[in-house]
Amino acid sequence: MELDLDESSLAIGRIERALSRIEKALAQRATRSTPASTGDATDSAALKAEVAAVIGELDRLIAEAKNG
Amino acid sequence: MADVHLNIAGRHYDVHCADGQEEQLHHLATLVDEKARGMTGSTEVRQLLFAALMLADEASEARGKVEKAEPESDSLRAAVALAESRAAAAQDEVKALQAREKKALQEAKSAAEREASALAELEKLRQGAPVAPPAPVGRHDRALLQIADRIEALAASVEQMA
Repeated sequence: MELDLDESSLAIGRIERALSRIEKALAQRATRSTPASTGDATDSAALKAEVAAVIGELDRLIAEAKNG
Repeated sequence: MADVHLNIAGRHYDVHCADGQEEQLHHLATLVDEKARGMTGSTEVRQLLFAALMLADEASEARGKVEKAEPESDSLRAAVALAESRAAAAQDEVKALQAREKKALQEAKSAAEREASALAELEKLRQGAPVAPPAPVGRHDRALLQIADRIEALAASVEQMA
């Protein structure tokens, strides 16, 4: 059980660090304000879809944890 | 074998019997002798004949009494059987009661153990001791790790785009 808690803490730490990296990258991108190309739009759509999927997964996980 | 000397109607007889039966044989000879001596003024053979007839008559009468008493004995046997049956039923009932009582005691003991366990768990909670997490936590942790993988991949993609 302690191992589970460690894994949980490790996962949350990794998520926090990854979110910081995303924030930092988005801030850099906004600073540059380069015009978006067709390829960028395609990548953004894929990223948005992945973000939505991850958020959905997190929602599911939170609901499951609440309901026991 | 034992040798026994009998005296019946004034005559001596030497007879044999199984060891241990001498006294009974003397007793029977006394009965025959008493009957034979009651027939005075007759020959020895007739004395013995009448003694035998009188003893046969007594035996017949006794057998009749026994046969007459048999129905009563049957009633007594039936009553005894009924009483035994009721006693057995009562004993079964007592055993069943004991079994129920034992089961109830076990259930009470089990409930007391559960209560003690719950109280101990409650005490742990009060003292802030770590409580064992429910089983699904391990599964949640794995899901969290997978999400971390995906967000890290997202971060890498966003960094590339930046």
